[in-house]
Amino acid sequence: MQEDVRPGLSVRLDAVTKIYNVAGDELPAIRGVTLSFDRGEALALVGSSGSGKSTLLHLSGLLDRPTTGAVFYENSRVDSLSPSDRAILRNRSVGFVFQNFQLIPRTTALENVEMPLLYRGVPPRERRERARELLLSVGMGDRERHYSSQLSGGQQQRVAIARALVASPGLLLADEPTGNLDSRSAVSVLDLLMKAQERTRMTLVLVTHDAEVARFASRTVRVRDGLLEKS
Amino acid sequence: MFIVSLGLRALHRNPYRSILTSLGIVIGVLSVIVLVSIGLGAKALVLQSIQNLGPNLLIVIPGSVTDSGAQVGGGTDTTLTQEDAQAIRHDCPDVWNASGALRTAAQVQSSHANWSTVILGAEPNYLPVRDWHLARGGFFGAEEEAASARVAVLGHLVASRLFGLEDPLGKFIQINHSPFRVIGILSSKGQSPMGMNQDDMVVIPLSTLQSQIMGVTYVGVILAAAQSPDRVGDARREIRDLLLLRHHIPAGGHPDFDIQALSDIAKTANRLSLILTLLLALIASISLIVGGIGILNIMLVSVRERTREIGIRMAIGARPRDILLQFLTESAALSFFGGIAGGILGVLSILALRSFLGWPAPIPWEDSLITVAGATLLGVLFGLYPAWRASRLDPMEALRYE
Ligand SMILES: Nc1ncnc2c1ncn2[C@@H]1O[C@H](COP(=O)(O)OP(=O)(O)O)[C@@H](O)[C@H]1O
Ligand SMILES: [Mg+2]
Repeated sequence: MQEDVRPGLSVRLDAVTKIYNVAGDELPAIRGVTLSFDRGEALALVGSSGSGKSTLLHLSGLLDRPTTGAVFYENSRVDSLSPSDRAILRNRSVGFVFQNFQLIPRTTALENVEMPLLYRGVPPRERRERARELLLSVGMGDRERHYSSQLSGGQQQRVAIARALVASPGLLLADEPTGNLDSRSAVSVLDLLMKAQERTRMTLVLVTHDAEVARFASRTVRVRDGLLEKS
Repeated sequence: MFIVSLGLRALHRNPYRSILTSLGIVIGVLSVIVLVSIGLGAKALVLQSIQNLGPNLLIVIPGSVTDSGAQVGGGTDTTLTQEDAQAIRHDCPDVWNASGALRTAAQVQSSHANWSTVILGAEPNYLPVRDWHLARGGFFGAEEEAASARVAVLGHLVASRLFGLEDPLGKFIQINHSPFRVIGILSSKGQSPMGMNQDDMVVIPLSTLQSQIMGVTYVGVILAAAQSPDRVGDARREIRDLLLLRHHIPAGGHPDFDIQALSDIAKTANRLSLILTLLLALIASISLIVGGIGILNIMLVSVRERTREIGIRMAIGARPRDILLQFLTESAALSFFGGIAGGILGVLSILALRSFLGWPAPIPWEDSLITVAGATLLGVLFGLYPAWRASRLDPMEALRYE
C-alpha cells in the first residue's frame, strides 16, 4: 500500500474562547484555552460530558471559529481564513471521525470514502483505487457496494475512518469514535486508529470520556467546564 | 466536472421526486409548444382561406369611408349596380374579369328536406372570378341571366342536405315557394376568411334574385379579378377612377364605395394571428414560470432535508462553490430533462391534434428548442437561491442538524 508518509501537522490554539448564543443568553463553552498538538503525537482529550471537548476539537479542525483567540497550523493563522480556504485546509490536512459516524445517507461505502478525493479533484480511476485500498485496510473491502444503512455501527465507523484517512491528513480528529459501539467493536476501532497513527506519524487527537480509551494515547489533556485542568 | 455527476446522482437516488418536480416544467414546455403551434396553425388556416378566395381578387363594396378610415354602412348601401360591374369588366384593362353579386337568406326545400341557407345572386362569370369550379353539371349563362331564369347551382353542403345520396341534377327545389331547376353542383370550397362556410349556399342568376326574390336593382358587392397578382394595384386604381366617374363624385369628394384587396385582409389577418400567437405564448410562459417556482420550492425542501449531508460534505472539504454547483446541477438537470420530456410530449400532442382534429398545426421545431433551452435556464435561475442557501450553511450547524 502506497502511503505518502507526511509528518504530522502541528496545531496551536491561542487563548481561544467559544461563546454560544442560546435564546439570547450567552453560554461560554470554552473560556480561554491555550493548547498545542505537537507534530505526530497521539493526544487524548478527556473530561465529563458538556465540558467542551467537542467544541475544542471543532475549533482545531476549522469546522467552527473561535469567538476570540486564534488557531495556528504550522505557525500560520488559519481561523481567520475564508470559508472556502478553510474547506480546502480541512480537505488537505484534516480527517474527522465522529461519534455518530456521519456517513452520507443513500451512498455506498466506497463513494463515502472517495468523497474527500473528489473535492480534491483527483481523477475517478485513481480515486476509486485509493478508496478501495483504504476500505481494505480497515477490513471493509467486501462491503464497498453497501449503503451505510446496511452496515453495523462498528462497520460504519470503519468506513468513516477509511474516509478520514483517504487523503492522508496531517491531523486526525476523533470525537468519541467508540462512544456508540459495543466493547468488541470499540477495541478494534481504537486499534485501527492507533495503528494508522503509528504508520503515518500524523497528529491524532482523540476525544473520550473513557479513561480506558485514554490509555491508548501518549499524552492526556483534561477539560473541565471550558478550561484545561492542570494535571 | 465531478461535482456535476454528484448532482445527477442525487436525482437518480430519488426518481419519483425528480419526476414530480419536473412535472411543472414538462407541462410548461408542453403548453408553450402546443399553443405556439396552434397559433401558427390558426394563421396558416386564415392565409389558406384567403388564398382560397384568390390572390388576384379585389372586392368593391358600397358605402363611404370617413376621413378616420371608419366605414359607414359598409356593405349595406345600395350604390353599386350590375352596370358598374359590366363597366369594370369592359373598361379596366388590368381587370381580367368581374362579377356583381348579391345575397340574401332564404328557406330552400327539396321534395323531402328543408334547409335554411344563403341565396347568392351572381353573374355568369362569377366562378372564374372566384377561381371556383363545378363538381358536376353546368353553370348558368348569359341567356339565363337575361331571362331571369329559375335555375340554381347548389353548394356542396346544400346538395347533400337537400338530396342526400340522390342526384340533384335536373331536380327542382323551392326558393320562397318558387321552383328552381338544379343545373349544377359546386366543388367544395370550405371557410371564407370571414368564417362563413362557402359550401352552404345556392347560386342563382343575379337578375333572378334582384327581380323575383328581393325586388331591388343594386348589387351587394362587385368582385373583380386582376390580370395577375402584380397588377392588383393598377386594377384597383382603374376601378376607382371608373366608379368615381360613373357615380359623379367630384375631385376631393368622398367616394360612395370602397375597394379592398385580399392582400390587405391578409395583412390584417397576419397581424391578428401574431397577436394571438404572442398571447398564447405569454400564457404558456406563465405556466413555465409556475413550473420554475415548483423547482424552487422542491429544491428548498431538498436543501433542508439534506442539511446534515451538506454538513458532512463541508467537513470533508467541500467548498461553498462545490455545494452551490451540486445543487445548481440538480435543478438544471431537473428542468432540462423536464424540458426535453415536455418537448417530446408537445410534438406528440401536435401530431395527435393534427390527426384527430385535422387542424393544420405545424411543429415549431425552432421554438421548441428555444423553449427547452429557456426552461433549463429557468431551472438554473430558480435553483440559484436554494443552491446559494445550501452553500452558505455553517458546517458545524449543518452537521448538528436533525
Ligand atoms: N451549537 C451549540 N449551541 C449552544 N450550545 C452548545 C452548542 N454546542 C455545544 N454547546 C454547549 O457547549 C458546552 C460544551 O459542549 P461540547 O463541546 O459538546 O461538550 P463535550 O463534547 O465535552 O460533551 C455544552 O454546555 C453544550 O451544551
Ligand atoms: Mg462531545
